[in-house]
Amino acid sequence: MKCGSSNSSPIEMPRRLSPALPNDPDSYESHFDNAALFEFSTVINSSLEPDFIYSHILLTIMGKLLSTRGIVLVADAAGRKEYVVEKVKGFEASLQGRRLAIPRMPRSLTFLEELDPGRHPWTEFFLSQGVKILLPLLIADKPIGTLGFGDRFSNRTLLSREKTYLRSLANISATAIEKSRTIAELQLVNRKLDRKIQELNTLFDLGKEFGALLDPEKLIRLLVFSLLGQVGVNRYLIALKDGADMRIAAARTDAGTPQGELLAELGRIKGPTLVEDYTVRGFVDPRPVLKSLGLSVIVPMQLQGETRGLMVLGEKLDRQPYLQADLEFLASLANLAIISLENARLFKETLEKQKLENELMIAREIQKGLLPSVLPGIDGLDIAATNISSKQVGGDYYDVLTMPDGRYIIAIGDVSGKGTPAALLMANLQATIRALVPLNLPLSELTGRVNELMCQNTGGNKFVTFFWGCVNPADCSLTYVNAGHNYPYLFHAGGSVDRLEKGGMILGIMQALVPYEQATISLVPGDMLVLFTDGVSEAMSRDSEEFGEERLERVLREHAGEGSTDIIDAVHRQILEFATGAPQSDDITMMVLKMSG
Amino acid sequence: MSDFKIGLREQNSVHILELKGYLDAHTAPKLEEALQNLLGSSRYNIVVNCKDLSYISSAGLGVFMAFIEDVRKHSGDIKLTNMSPKVYNVFDLLGFPLLYEIFKEEQDAITRFFDKSKNPSSTLQ
Repeated sequence: MKCGSSNSSPIEMPRRLSPALPNDPDSYESHFDNAALFEFSTVINSSLEPDFIYSHILLTIMGKLLSTRGIVLVADAAGRKEYVVEKVKGFEASLQGRRLAIPRMPRSLTFLEELDPGRHPWTEFFLSQGVKILLPLLIADKPIGTLGFGDRFSNRTLLSREKTYLRSLANISATAIEKSRTIAELQLVNRKLDRKIQELNTLFDLGKEFGALLDPEKLIRLLVFSLLGQVGVNRYLIALKDGADMRIAAARTDAGTPQGELLAELGRIKGPTLVEDYTVRGFVDPRPVLKSLGLSVIVPMQLQGETRGLMVLGEKLDRQPYLQADLEFLASLANLAIISLENARLFKETLEKQKLENELMIAREIQKGLLPSVLPGIDGLDIAATNISSKQVGGDYYDVLTMPDGRYIIAIGDVSGKGTPAALLMANLQATIRALVPLNLPLSELTGRVNELMCQNTGGNKFVTFFWGCVNPADCSLTYVNAGHNYPYLFHAGGSVDRLEKGGMILGIMQALVPYEQATISLVPGDMLVLFTDGVSEAMSRDSEEFGEERLERVLREHAGEGSTDIIDAVHRQILEFATGAPQSDDITMMVLKMSG
Repeated sequence: MSDFKIGLREQNSVHILELKGYLDAHTAPKLEEALQNLLGSSRYNIVVNCKDLSYISSAGLGVFMAFIEDVRKHSGDIKLTNMSPKVYNVFDLLGFPLLYEIFKEEQDAITRFFDKSKNPSSTLQ
């Protein structure tokens, strides 16, 4: 390495650059110095490596001063009034990295022994190490550092020309050092920017992929991969809120997973928090447990200000502490993930609801299909029936069956409960009745059989209120059994009303201890029989008032002169008027039977 | 749709995964599956050749992280080779050169498996 000492080769250069060499020796020296300075500048500016620059500066000036020891101190990058030993030659290597405050740093070449140690206490450090000469590094007259040198071999006083030369070397050095530091800072800033861009890319990459994923498990796995990759951790725990509780969705810890109570405590924090900075809010101190699991930072996953989940991460594998920028990135990632997880959950919920609604619709249609769509035409009878489904599927049932001997069975029933189970039981009831009727047994006995079968089928946890009758056109009689159903009305042609109460207990609860009773009544032309379910009498108004049997009876009486279909329509109309749009929870089922004679 | 393919070769019982194309959140599950298959059949000496890898996202890096612990527990390793400067930059930014051995050439990584004394101590356990 060329050190620009007086014997080095650049003596050739000025001759080439300046062929008209002056005769004046001073001028000659000055040309010689210029050439050396030029070479010095070229060399130290050819590298951005601080160590190379410092070494070259020290060696060059040590050569010039004939000193064996040199030291470089450069102002702390953070701008504090402290200087850091960056490089030494001939001094203890352990000095490197030492910090020193140098208030009122001299602005020119200084022999330290000439300074008043009272005014400049810092000189003591230099003198104790054997630094005798200080050559400050100035930019625009402001110190950015200083060079220091030990004793010189020769005690010859420095000529003013030599001092100027040294100042020039110092100035060139200061510029080169400043340049290399600025570039190093730029590189650092660039790297930070690269890192930010990388973080944004990660968020973008995940945002894109999360948006397309509706499977929470896959979402969580992807989130874990990104955490492992971006943050460089391999201990983590992800918990999601499920109702009021936090549940662990994924975890890899040093020892098991924490309990729900601890997760609930962690769920109270509002922002990313280091375990060491954690302030306990509830009754549980999560810090010892988290430490034992190898977890060190908690990041709440928030949706509209509400914590819906937690990401708890271990130490970074490069052992670097979590910085504010890291926490900010983690918060963004957590919030991005929770939005997608919430979407996936809502999607699943909607899908399940839709599926349920579809099932209910199918159940309703099956049930509708079971009810007779057209009633058999019966001589001497004007008969009509209706079933209006509520929003939910109910278990209302009515039927009209023709028997081979010319008699008719009319039936109405109401299965307890709603939905598919009620509809299934209603279908079961219908099948039972249709199977038993041809046995041609007395109605009371048949009712007993129906009850037995229903008991077997329901296991005793469902029941049916049921009324049925057998109309015999031959002698104009009606034989009936009422198994706990709303008492049907019998409006006599003369104006009086009877309620058909005879029978026994509701079907499906238990074997009847007392046999069902049947009753037989005579019908005359003009008599009107009205069967209905509680969806009629208990229809609700907006004010939660029941339609009630009194209203029902009044409407029936008012329209008694009309045909059966019109009577049903009239009752339905009245109910609608009464309800004024209030949704009905029960099916509305009615059958009207008039003796036309 | 990002394009990503994985090739698998074997040389002296070292398994070499060749990654091709874009390794991001979308394609990371493919790499997960490939590594799962290797570990599932107790193959722990793995070299990942990144010659044709044009991009890697943090989700892709995360897949390596998810398996490295298991692999090293079984005295194996995942070594990475032939990275383009762009891909290396991502590894470097996220501090991966501290955690993984990265080689210029695949052959160097394979040879390294037979020089047990120089395998990384299990810093990840």
